[in-house]
Amino acid sequence: MNKEIISKAINKYGREREHLMNILRELESLSEDNYLDVETLSELAEQMNIPKSAVAGFVDFYTMFKTTPRAKYVIRICKSTSCHIMGARTIFEEIESILDIKPGEATRDGIFYLETCQCLGVCSVAPAMMINYDIHGNLTPERLKKIIDDYRKKEPVDGEACGPEVEGKKCIIEGTPQTKRLLENVGVVNPLEIDTYVAKGGFDALKKALGMDRGDIIDIIKDSGLRGRGGAGFPAGMKWSFVTKGDMQKYVICNADEGEPGTFKDRILMEENPQALVEGMAICGYAIDASIGYIYIRGEFRRSIIRLQKAIDQARAKGYLGKNIFGSSFSFDIFIKEGGGAYVCGEETSLINSMEGKRGYPRFKPPFPGVTGFMGKPSNVNNVETLMSVPMIIEKGADWYKSVGLAGCTGTKLYCLSGKMNRTGLVELPMGATLREIIDIHGGGMKCGSKFKFAQVGGSAGGMLGEDLMDIPLDIDNPMKHGVTLGSGVVLVADQNTCPVDFLLQILSFFEHESCGQCVPCRVGTSHLHAMVKKFAERKASISDIDLMIKKAELMKKTSLCALGQSPVMPIVTILKYFRSDFEKHCDPSHRCPECESSLTTYYIF
Amino acid sequence: MNIEFIIDGKLIRAHKGQSILKAALLNGIDIPHLCYHEKLSATGACRLCIVKVNGMYKASCTEPVAEGIDVVTYDEELSMMRKELLEMLLAEGDHNCLYCHSNGNCELQNYCYQYNVEPPAKDLPKNIREVDLTSSQGIKRDENKCILCGRCVKACAEIQVNFVWDFAGRGSHAHLTSDMYEKIGDSSCIQCGTCVQLCPTGALSFQTVLGRGMNWELKKESSICIYCGVGCKIDFYTNKEGKLVKAMGNDEGPNKGHLCVKGRFGFDFVQSNKRLTTPLIKKNGKFEKATWDEALDLVASKFGEIKEKSSPDALMAFASAKCTNEENYLMQKFMRSVIGTNNIDHCARL
Repeated sequence: MNKEIISKAINKYGREREHLMNILRELESLSEDNYLDVETLSELAEQMNIPKSAVAGFVDFYTMFKTTPRAKYVIRICKSTSCHIMGARTIFEEIESILDIKPGEATRDGIFYLETCQCLGVCSVAPAMMINYDIHGNLTPERLKKIIDDYRKKEPVDGEACGPEVEGKKCIIEGTPQTKRLLENVGVVNPLEIDTYVAKGGFDALKKALGMDRGDIIDIIKDSGLRGRGGAGFPAGMKWSFVTKGDMQKYVICNADEGEPGTFKDRILMEENPQALVEGMAICGYAIDASIGYIYIRGEFRRSIIRLQKAIDQARAKGYLGKNIFGSSFSFDIFIKEGGGAYVCGEETSLINSMEGKRGYPRFKPPFPGVTGFMGKPSNVNNVETLMSVPMIIEKGADWYKSVGLAGCTGTKLYCLSGKMNRTGLVELPMGATLREIIDIHGGGMKCGSKFKFAQVGGSAGGMLGEDLMDIPLDIDNPMKHGVTLGSGVVLVADQNTCPVDFLLQILSFFEHESCGQCVPCRVGTSHLHAMVKKFAERKASISDIDLMIKKAELMKKTSLCALGQSPVMPIVTILKYFRSDFEKHCDPSHRCPECESSLTTYYIF
Repeated sequence: MNIEFIIDGKLIRAHKGQSILKAALLNGIDIPHLCYHEKLSATGACRLCIVKVNGMYKASCTEPVAEGIDVVTYDEELSMMRKELLEMLLAEGDHNCLYCHSNGNCELQNYCYQYNVEPPAKDLPKNIREVDLTSSQGIKRDENKCILCGRCVKACAEIQVNFVWDFAGRGSHAHLTSDMYEKIGDSSCIQCGTCVQLCPTGALSFQTVLGRGMNWELKKESSICIYCGVGCKIDFYTNKEGKLVKAMGNDEGPNKGHLCVKGRFGFDFVQSNKRLTTPLIKKNGKFEKATWDEALDLVASKFGEIKEKSSPDALMAFASAKCTNEENYLMQKFMRSVIGTNNIDHCARL
């Protein structure tokens, strides 16, 4: 790639290292074969005046980049749990036969290149795939053939032209008794027109907040009981109050790196009501005295990125962002930063490193981001759902917010339904809905011919719930008492056809793929766990391997640097709680398991 | 020393902001650690230094001290955890002390021995990483002995400020890269050797070392580098045959353990067979061995002749940076007061 193209891309985004991700994405899309050659990278490092090794390490960390030629279209087939149990293997085999290539190969005409990938965040329309940045769901062999044929004829599309079946409002379950607060404006407000949001009372909360004392806002958020919706459930108001006070630059960071397999709530919120996120961030900015906000969003979410950018631009034009908002002394602006395909960047300190143009290695804590965050400055990181709950709390008050939900976990929660139910998609229910209620009422019961086997709640880092836990309230605290977690609100339902060994194989292959590799227990542990569960799938394991697996996962829980390495123990222990005998059966070499065999032949190259 | 807390039942005083590990080490309490190095910022990657702080597991290299905390650095459970972590490291790489230049001087080996670690199971996955023993004149790289502690990355970035090393890949496929995935010899490495000196295993090593003496046979002698005015303190290691094997920066010198390529590798002349050991005088177009008296007499008489025939200013002296300050002082004194000229200069550095 010539020097002028590179310097043009640098000038477009900025010379600072923090813009590395966007510059690389631009350069990769400008390359004919969707890759970044080392000469280009060296030249880029030179021009940006950052070490070559840093650029090399960065590119190699994020799965969306590659340094060897791919093709005009990169096809990524999702193999995460939701897609897996909804038939990803069939899609994978089908595409291999249509294109006559294996993963890591390009078709001879140089048009298609095949890869597997992890969760694309459209789990209600699983199985799914992404072609360049264009996501398609509800895949069947017939549909797949048609999509591929279309691609042979057309030019790359992105954003709004993405598959309509994955658009936010199509992924919401309608017609069941819900408590719609966050989803209230979906379908009412036009995500591309800020005026429609303003007409529904949008930015009234910001105006109200600007007339209040900063401390009072934090008190209201504390009083509302709002807890982080990303998975950890930390009280939001408390987090705000931990941000260092003083004259230094501070930041509000929205964690929109939604990557937990089975989760797609943030994408829907950002696609359908991006203005509310802008407002929530501005209120948070005022409360913690920050003048800049960043949204760190998965690079895969093109439609969300475009709509958010539009919402930000319109808000700026209308004076809801910028200098002296509503004539006050408060100035605030928002910028978008993109991810490059790394689940670990959902961890807030990895996210901050990634924002700075570094490898997404988590930082050790303390210091917490509230003290030392982005660029070493105090930063408050909240999930999309959390920040979008803020305007309504300010407008309607803490008591109103607390009027639904449970005592320790107030408000509503977005539950992401996927798997073998009649209806899949997003529902908004008071915190503490039960699995039975979710499956029977909102999911419309199990699919015809499907019998409930287990549900994984909380994503791949969450635990399995069997019949015995059907009636526990799925809030933040109750599941913990039973060794499971609500996490980001994933409810993935598996039926009798799911083999627990095969399912765990997918989970542990996910963790190996997504471990950042910084700390020893996670880097080595995730690789060992994957190898161990694969032994069961291959029917080469011995019964003692079951406890070895638990032992290793427990060591990882005690010693890993961040939550990623601490997570695998929960799915392992909870799946063994119900299905230990399946693992024992898989120790018998003569045992036949079509599920495991199919996964081994599909995903592994022997 | 404004914070008081307990480590293993002992009252410890430390500064605010100090890590538990640092406070422990300063008080003579050793907590196993591999990624931490006192010259570098903390990483928290190896997790070997995990201790119990009020019963909770914390990496002591990154956990700051706090008033009144109760730290346990060693019990049966912690010992078991460390053993399992070491087993993971052994399983991940290809560590064979028989063939390793670091045998006997390896932090990983020490801990494996101390914690009684058994050889890892054979069927655990390994990723074959880069072995590059030839591309660089100074440095060898065998990443299969690497534990990805990151000391080399930080040594290059924080001490030498050259940023040659970084991590590439991800998860179990993580590995080192020098510059843009280049061989170390093709990279911008200036071969200061700081990364090798700080490497806790045998992953990075010097070309000169392997096969020239077991670590426990080497004798160490400290000296001052003869190359430039910084005066770095160097530990020279000689083997049983008296041959110089390697130069390591001494922490007590002004260099605080750091060396440049000359101090690190430029010592082969000492034992070179091309080195002059007696004066030579050219007779009939050929150099012949002479005694010091013969040589000095000859030089003195020639100097006298020139001074007599022309003037003192027909002579000049050029002193060497390899000489000590005292020798250089004497040189200028000799030129000014004995010869009578100010024509004196110095090469300043080598």
